[in-house]
Amino acid sequence: MSSKRMATIMGVTYGIAAIMPFFVGDIRFIMHILIMCLIWAVVASCWDLIMGFAGIFSFGQVAFFVIGAYTSAILSVQWNVPSVVAILLAGVFTAGMGVIVGLPCLKLAGPYVALVTFGVHMTLMPVLRGEIGIALGSGGSQGILTIPPVNILGYTFSSANQIPTFYFTLFLSVVCTVIILAVIKSYWGTAFLALKDSEEFAMSLGVSAFKYKLMVFALTSFLTGVMGAFYGHYIGMLSTRMLELDLFCTLMVMLVVGGIGRFPGAILGAFITVTANELLAPLGAYRAVTLGALVVLLVLLLPNGVMGLWLKRSDAEA
Amino acid sequence: MKKISLISCIAVISLLFGSWAMAADTIPVGVPLAMTGAYTGSGDDYFKGIKMAIDEINEAGGLLGKQIEIIRYDSKEFAPEVVMQGADYLCGQMKVASVHAGWAGWGQDVRAYGKYDAPFFCDDGSQAAVNVFKEDPEKYYNIYQLTDTGIEQASSMFRVLMALPYKYPNKKVVIINTDDAWGVEVGDTLVSNFEKKGWKVAKRETVPYGTNEWGTIMTRIRRIKPAIIHVEIPSAQEVITFFRQFIKKPTSSILSYGWGITPREVVENLGKKADGIVGEMPSGLAGPVAPNAASQAWMDKYIKLFKHQLPAGSWITYTGVMAWASAVKAVGDPYDFKAVNKHLKEVGYKGHLGQIKWDKDNVLRLQAGAPVVHYQVQNGELRTIYTDPPVKPYKDAKFILPRWIKK
Repeated sequence: MSSKRMATIMGVTYGIAAIMPFFVGDIRFIMHILIMCLIWAVVASCWDLIMGFAGIFSFGQVAFFVIGAYTSAILSVQWNVPSVVAILLAGVFTAGMGVIVGLPCLKLAGPYVALVTFGVHMTLMPVLRGEIGIALGSGGSQGILTIPPVNILGYTFSSANQIPTFYFTLFLSVVCTVIILAVIKSYWGTAFLALKDSEEFAMSLGVSAFKYKLMVFALTSFLTGVMGAFYGHYIGMLSTRMLELDLFCTLMVMLVVGGIGRFPGAILGAFITVTANELLAPLGAYRAVTLGALVVLLVLLLPNGVMGLWLKRSDAEA
Repeated sequence: MKKISLISCIAVISLLFGSWAMAADTIPVGVPLAMTGAYTGSGDDYFKGIKMAIDEINEAGGLLGKQIEIIRYDSKEFAPEVVMQGADYLCGQMKVASVHAGWAGWGQDVRAYGKYDAPFFCDDGSQAAVNVFKEDPEKYYNIYQLTDTGIEQASSMFRVLMALPYKYPNKKVVIINTDDAWGVEVGDTLVSNFEKKGWKVAKRETVPYGTNEWGTIMTRIRRIKPAIIHVEIPSAQEVITFFRQFIKKPTSSILSYGWGITPREVVENLGKKADGIVGEMPSGLAGPVAPNAASQAWMDKYIKLFKHQLPAGSWITYTGVMAWASAVKAVGDPYDFKAVNKHLKEVGYKGHLGQIKWDKDNVLRLQAGAPVVHYQVQNGELRTIYTDPPVKPYKDAKFILPRWIKK
């Protein structure tokens, strides 16, 4: 898909989101859902970049999100670091963690990368709840319940003032996804695709698998960490319950709905999945089953996710 | 095709926005409970009590002449944004008159629902939640804990273990608890109480949910031969697998399951094999013979409706709904939140077992009207052997020595 078409889809999606507060700005519940859509759009896009474009079966995206969230919260609560600085430092720290996790993955093939990265996810909960986490200031099993909101020149962005917070999140989300778009359409993106299609052939052309795989780990971890850090300051509290499988599965559904490797499908996937999840809420216990069935149907009818609709049209036009 | 798209759009918009148009002749109440995920079982037990209370009120003509309408919200696994989303949905969008929950977020819920004024009843049983309340009691004035904290419940468990008519062969205890806020709070308190009393905590193990293979821990237990093994895991499968592996080669130990005895799957699954295990239910109703005629009638109705023994949570959530309804009746307006909260705080409620009152932290501390009920599994069902406070044997019930203890 061309950069122009990708940018158009992103522009329309974010444009529609941007005017929503004019209609639902006074409905806290919907504003909260919109803010969460913007956060998940970045996390899902990062996951799409590493899995869909670079072909690395990383299952550590939620773990990086939580690492970013906890790092910034600990810096703010324990060390009184200003929230904006804490968010940036959290991004840098998460990027470092991404590189550390990425290093052993370079020597592994697909499913083994998934095992290692999911291992990081599974290990994080006992670490944060245990003595190490408590010593670091994670609050152990209780979590951190008093995270200050983002404060920029006296303006606070928290759940208490949702409209400014929404536009701040929109700004962050647009910046992060534009970075992802730029990467996909740059030499990096071509290198990722080449490595994904045939690593040996790409390497014979001088594409360094080591360099690019580490770069994609670092970049996606950084962006995910930043959004995780912002999430902590927005919600004002954190607990290891984010590491339960619920969020992990929901993010995966976002990817499938949007279309894996079909950026900016992940952004659409985030909006569609979160909205569908809320619309199905009255079904109670049957919500998860219904959502699962809808995903199966979608995969059968649109193997490329909702982006498949655009791809079909592009093919037809061609 | 265009017509279909139009119809789909209208359907989606109706689904999204239709719920706002709340009929004015009903009083909506919010019920955020786990309907999917790991906590579905307890969510179901809490809901039964809430629904029973609301059905009774509605059958009797409603509250102030209006029917009460339940609006459910799936709290899933209590991720922070889900807890907050629940509060914004129920209080912000659906404008509920009160919120009735069970486990609700262990402190996260206090912050989420404290932004609003509608009375919020929950069963966090957690000091962390109370600590959040203490940060700003005026802001969180609408939060009501239906049970005492894990610290106080653990102290009650300890008092009863010490009161059992049984001479312990040694002063060694093994404590196993989950790695969540509840498990750690109870485990820490028990360790402190046992050590103060001169006991040796021979092993303390903190385990994650989903631990079903107990081989290594069991080997240590068999080597230690403790007089008491306390397992604090509020989830059925872990305590069931623990017992099955323990009973293969048991030690002469009192097996105490704390809150973990109350998920009904435990006794239903183990049946008479579980005879001898002890445990507790906070803010509970003693059974199978209830303390008085009114509570017996209630329990009989519950068993008839749901076809099983009374699990943890049902009776106290029922009582919570009734306490709120009583306050609304006294005030005359469910949306006069300040007056309803004032009434709840100052007057409390006269329930099946007498007056209940929330303390200065809005916690329903151990009290005669909402006691901790201590059970032993006897003849394949939970039988109350003690109530607390004060610790006293319940009616003519007797503690039986577990069959695996060598005399």
